[in-house]
Amino acid sequence: MASVIGGTGSFFGPWKENHAWAQGAKPIKLGLTCDASGQYGNSGQDDFRGIKMAIDEFNAKGGVLGRQITFITADTETTPATGSRVAERFITREDCTILIGALHSGVANAITQVASKYGVIYMNTNSSAPSEAGENCSRVKFVWDGNGTNFSKASVKNAVDSIGKTWMLLTNDYVWGHTTSAATKAQVEAAGGKIVDNLLVPQNTRDFTAYLLKIQQAKPDVVATAIGGDDIKALREQVAQLKLDGKPAWINNQQDWPDVWGAPDSLFGVFGTTWYHKLQLPGVADFVRKWQAANKDGPIPVPGNVSYNGYMSTRELLRAIERAGSTNNVKIIKELENLKVSATDRMQHFDAYMDPMTHQMQQTIYLARRNAKPADNTDLYEIISWTEPKSAADDAAPGKCKLAPYEQVPTVDS
Amino acid sequence: MFDILPHLVNGLTLGLLFALIALGFMLIVGLMEQINLAHGSLFALGAYVAMQLTGPRPPLPAELAKLWLALPLGWRYAATLVIAPVIVSLVGILIEFCMRRTYGKDPLYGLLLTFGAAMVIEELIRLVWGTRDYVLQVPSAVNGGFLFGDLIWSTYRFYAAGIAAGIIGLVWLLIEKTSFGATVKAGAHDSEIVRALGINLSRLRLLVFVFGTMLAAIAGIIVAPIWGIRPHMGVDAVIPAFLVIVLGGVGSFWGAVVAGLLVGLCVGLAGAYASEWSLLSMYILLVAVVTFRARGLWGKKSVLEV
Repeated sequence: MASVIGGTGSFFGPWKENHAWAQGAKPIKLGLTCDASGQYGNSGQDDFRGIKMAIDEFNAKGGVLGRQITFITADTETTPATGSRVAERFITREDCTILIGALHSGVANAITQVASKYGVIYMNTNSSAPSEAGENCSRVKFVWDGNGTNFSKASVKNAVDSIGKTWMLLTNDYVWGHTTSAATKAQVEAAGGKIVDNLLVPQNTRDFTAYLLKIQQAKPDVVATAIGGDDIKALREQVAQLKLDGKPAWINNQQDWPDVWGAPDSLFGVFGTTWYHKLQLPGVADFVRKWQAANKDGPIPVPGNVSYNGYMSTRELLRAIERAGSTNNVKIIKELENLKVSATDRMQHFDAYMDPMTHQMQQTIYLARRNAKPADNTDLYEIISWTEPKSAADDAAPGKCKLAPYEQVPTVDS
Repeated sequence: MFDILPHLVNGLTLGLLFALIALGFMLIVGLMEQINLAHGSLFALGAYVAMQLTGPRPPLPAELAKLWLALPLGWRYAATLVIAPVIVSLVGILIEFCMRRTYGKDPLYGLLLTFGAAMVIEELIRLVWGTRDYVLQVPSAVNGGFLFGDLIWSTYRFYAAGIAAGIIGLVWLLIEKTSFGATVKAGAHDSEIVRALGINLSRLRLLVFVFGTMLAAIAGIIVAPIWGIRPHMGVDAVIPAFLVIVLGGVGSFWGAVVAGLLVGLCVGLAGAYASEWSLLSMYILLVAVVTFRARGLWGKKSVLEV
């Protein structure tokens, strides 16, 4: 809370206050571009909880390089224009030298454009369009979530072989939906399946009956969805209402935890995730306890994949600053490009690494379905498989991603 | 050819829901000449209050709560359909009380006031219930799906459309066939004459606003199981409501109903045959109609043209 007040205070405070820090142990100021409203408002705030937890942990042990970490946050409203405006303000008026956060790939891309212009490092915590580490990659941006291709590679071939070859796509009509569905289509066709139709769903669709009728008429074996945020919540409720969750089979590319919480009964199909709070791995239970202690009054009682990605990205950023011994942007970028994290440290099944060609974290990809025998009221998932990073890697991304040379990145130092 | 029939049926049921959402909005604009931008927030509040009443922790003393929860869900749901709109109407009374200073002045004042009220209600919802999503439980009799023409249909969708049609009919009877309705319409047409006849115009306006508020709350309760309950659900309601009354013509009861059905058909058919156009189609329809007929299909000169 104190950090929030601190961050907000500096936002409203006079410009000269920031300069006063230059005399001594000037804090390192982060700009948190987390949605608080719009389609990903819930997820954006869950992201924030994870980021803040990492910041608090470092501050509790004296900060980084002997400097405290402060932050400012503003609602990016799940809108690219607002995301761009917030990023510009954080960098030019609030003296933020690193930006963190995003769910919506359109917002993430807008922030990337601004960050690249100024050379400011941007940690894209939770936006998972393949284009984020492909054609929209940047030397200053690091992508921490699994993307649509990773999840498709982990799920599609097995589903074509075991369920059927006739597939239909249900695609949110924006960059994440399109790129994710394109990845799924490629995987389906490579596995010998066929896409019979791709229904584009405008963002903020609340009524899916027309789509569900169309799906019933087409009778596909599998429906693969790339629907996010509030839209997937509405879809899940309507699929559950009609009891269409058995046939056809549903592959939901990725399921963010805040989109599940509140309506667990409508969790259907097989879906992807990068982490689950009931993974039987060292450190998970302790992490959950610490997260719960830090978020006692939060709307969600346990950390999910969104909060996990927020935490991990911030922790690795702060560690990279420590290793670099500097807040110079290029030095930190080089540290992050060489990042390797052990499975134990990541609380996942396999070691993870940052791909230096695309700046996407390569990590374990989990497939899950609804847990029929939950241990408690938070135990919604049954993890059915875990795929190692190299098997789920997006092979096309390095060919699409063109990182600017280091010398073309403007110098930034905190 | 027969492939289109399910989508026509779907469009009509969706249209009835759009008409229901727009009904309270239409009454207040048409009869009071006030654009109530808080309509969507009152819609959301109706859903939240209903969820709280039918959920496992009703806001009642322990003993009463025990008795209430002992009732079957069907009874609780039926009672909630009446109780929740009455509770929400108290907020409507408060808004109308604040609006009194704006009557007879530039409509912009009322617009800004209700916009502010919408923001306040949405933030209060966040404060009380947080940002998480909720589900409104409905009785099993209206839940699930049924098989018709080898397709599974939502039982609740038809129940909701039936309720919407019933409420539209009742509102029409009230407005067109009762002395209350005649007085309200006369007040909207010429408030000075109505006042001269000894009718308490302030009370009349209050009644209209409360009635519109209750309709917003009922629409929220009916639509909640389809859309889900979340703080900004009101924004999803107020936009189509505004669109429907402009398309139908401000002040026209049947204009709003027909416009609701047209919008539903448009969205439903586009969803099936040109899915990426489904939401955009309603705006294209509005532009097409307003280009040739600025007052909407059955509109008369109104506050929107001042």
